[in-house]
Amino acid sequence: MRFKNYFFRSVSITGVPIFGLLIFTVAIFQFVVPIFNGTVADYITNLVPVLLLTVGAAIVIIGGSIDLSIGTVCGLSAGITMWTLASGLPAALSILLGVATGAFFGLLNGFLIAKLRVNDFIATLATLNISGGLLIVLSQATELYGAESEFFTSLVYGRFLGIPTSFFIAGVLILLMQFLLLKTILGRRIFAMGNSGAAANVAGINIRNVKLATFILSGTLAGCAGVLLASRLGGVQAFLGLGYEFTAIAGAVVGGVSLAGGRGSPAAALAGGLFIGTLTQGLQLIGVEPVFFGIVSGLALIIGVIFDQKIQDIGQLRSRFDSRVLAQPPRRQGDRG
Amino acid sequence: MNSPTDLTSIRSAPIILDIRQLTKTYQGVTALENATLQVRKGEIHALLGGNGAGKSTLIGILSGVTQPDSGEFLVDGSELAPRNPRDAIKSGITTIYQELSLVPALTTLENIFLGREIIIERSGVKILLNRKKMKKEVIELAQVFGISKDELEIPISEFGALKKKVIEIVKALTFDTRILILDEPTSGLEEEERLHLFDHMRSLRGRGVGLIWVTHHLDELHGLADVATILRDGRTLKSLDLKKSTVEEITNLMFGIHSNEAGLTTKSNSSRTNEKIKKTEVLSLHEVCRASVLRDISFNLHAGEIIGISGLTGAGRTELARVIMGIDNRTAGTIFLKGKEVKFNSSASAYKAGIAMLPEDRKQLGIISGLSVAENISISNLQSVSKFGFIIRRKKERELAIKYKEILSIRTPSVNQKINNLSGGSQQKAIVARCLNSNPSVLIIDEPTQGVDVATKKEVHELIRDFISKGGAAIVIASEIQELLELSHKVLVLRKGSIVGKIENIQESTTKSRVAEIKGEVLALSAGNRIKNEI
Repeated sequence: MRFKNYFFRSVSITGVPIFGLLIFTVAIFQFVVPIFNGTVADYITNLVPVLLLTVGAAIVIIGGSIDLSIGTVCGLSAGITMWTLASGLPAALSILLGVATGAFFGLLNGFLIAKLRVNDFIATLATLNISGGLLIVLSQATELYGAESEFFTSLVYGRFLGIPTSFFIAGVLILLMQFLLLKTILGRRIFAMGNSGAAANVAGINIRNVKLATFILSGTLAGCAGVLLASRLGGVQAFLGLGYEFTAIAGAVVGGVSLAGGRGSPAAALAGGLFIGTLTQGLQLIGVEPVFFGIVSGLALIIGVIFDQKIQDIGQLRSRFDSRVLAQPPRRQGDRG
Repeated sequence: MNSPTDLTSIRSAPIILDIRQLTKTYQGVTALENATLQVRKGEIHALLGGNGAGKSTLIGILSGVTQPDSGEFLVDGSELAPRNPRDAIKSGITTIYQELSLVPALTTLENIFLGREIIIERSGVKILLNRKKMKKEVIELAQVFGISKDELEIPISEFGALKKKVIEIVKALTFDTRILILDEPTSGLEEEERLHLFDHMRSLRGRGVGLIWVTHHLDELHGLADVATILRDGRTLKSLDLKKSTVEEITNLMFGIHSNEAGLTTKSNSSRTNEKIKKTEVLSLHEVCRASVLRDISFNLHAGEIIGISGLTGAGRTELARVIMGIDNRTAGTIFLKGKEVKFNSSASAYKAGIAMLPEDRKQLGIISGLSVAENISISNLQSVSKFGFIIRRKKERELAIKYKEILSIRTPSVNQKINNLSGGSQQKAIVARCLNSNPSVLIIDEPTQGVDVATKKEVHELIRDFISKGGAAIVIASEIQELLELSHKVLVLRKGSIVGKIENIQESTTKSRVAEIKGEVLALSAGNRIKNEI
């Protein structure tokens, strides 16, 4: 009974089931294709930009909204970085401009949604098209390339203590976001707003500002992802980033970030993103044709969400169970109950 | 049984619901223990008990939401074990919950027939709703309960709280309901709406329906309910003939204490003396307007003073609170806090300036469900549990919550519990704690004691008085005039967004007859002269 309780309690914590599933998947692939070992660094390097987007998507979703623009904003940030580098700007400045592009679009989304009260789905669908369109114009529908900065290439391909630099960059950013959401006042307000915007509004939270903050964070992360993407690819194509938003949102949701808002964490979203990434990568390694990847990740999304839902149902049952107990007074005779 | 004839006739009426020794345990804690009670045909049977006495569990079993561990209940002599609410309804037991279960966008007719529509069939294909036939079937019954033919075609969202309740009653009756359970039916209703509802309950009794009436308002019982069964700690203590029992007796049974301890009397030992009101103005409003909902609201609130706001739903009471808090914008007028003009653009700035609000709708606007009790208490003043101004110290947050848990006796095994798992009374106290933790100089309280039992009500009142005696000022909004009179020094009556009357110098020494007089006055003012004649 005690073990059972402990099991239910820990398994109903958001993110725990997906971490289990992730380890299980990795183990299976490791068993089937032992070469997985040697390529693990490459595989994560490829995933880094999308993982950053996943964390950004998670922050907005926890706050009770959705951001569809992150994919193309990431692409545009990559384009701006590449374009400015190619036209001879110093690498540091180009990187800054790339990140700023993301932050600007985050600010724009936040302004439209929080201040002008445009529906989040519509507003970010519009900025998806705008940022995607800007990249097409910028690249003249072909490809941007020609960066010759070693420093810039080293963002992804450099190594620090034998580990790829992009790991450190992404790792620091994700840790920072995890800390921000779970330990700070802003993070608490984001959770409160996501759980119940109306109640948070009455309880002394300026929900317009908090909402704005979530979009700026997700935009800035998309900017960072864009810079790393440009560094890895060495060239930016006209339609780069389109569709990444769905992989990112799927990763966050599989990781247990509830689309209803107020539940999940950046770390859990990271696990979800890694799960979908591992699946795709693993299938490639065991020789499945890439044309099937879309189908597989779609199925993974459905299975992951159902799995999470079942686990949550058990957790809910437990807590409903607890609540019934709580509703009863301690047994004291003659007391007011 | 030498009571008046009508009661005797009920007493001899056949038993339609016979509950025998129902027991339900949750994880070793007994929620219901050998609960036994009998409801007769055409009887209004009040089900009473404090928060957590087992009323919800009992209703849950009757309506098929939960299944008992042991025991049984018989309807018209045959045993019934509903596995879900549908089963229960089919067998003639309908429950009307506090939260209405009508679909707002559908019309009255569509709601009444929801899920069992009468459909026109053409060569075996179901094509259309047979509105004519449905109307014909329900019209007579509807008119008995004051729903006109036209109103059958109007969406539910257009109606007020009372009408919605009545529509649910009509819906229940078209299901051939023999036992109707009403869970706090008067919550959210205005005084005179309550009286209308009571009339409907009487006519249900006349139709031979057995009514189980769950209520916290003991003053409503006499003259309406026939029998009252009191639950305490999961056991049915006693069924009383209401013709022969007093409110004191009932309170005594419910809480195991005497009624004057449970706060039924208007008298209080605390500091409601007008001398204590300091001359310092804390909050003052000058001709505050908001579009069409508020017009030229002006008043001054002093330190140590409680101003009560009365009025019907839609009179602008809650809107006034929201405008002061900066949640909604005002279109004209000025607000001064401690002599300085203030313009809040969100409740965040109001809290910072020292105004806190306990909102009306606890489930939607009060608690932040999903967060823990501790997180709910600290949310309005996170600075108080932070270091460096932005990092939350969980340990300090927990200690703060434990402190309030002790002071306000919030019933929870741990402050880390999710707040939605607490009883209504404890949730309300947690929100009071949240308000107090923001160190306000003005507290705005919208319906302070909605859905809490008499003992908790008294505690909440004490908390408000305590806050006042320490120099705070409060605005209390309540539908219950009695509650306003018990708490406030001054009552403002709102109608259609304007202040239409003031009642000042409310004293503890105010006599009973004077209280009744004031009540009548407030009612007349808030309704205009229209309703006055109806009552």
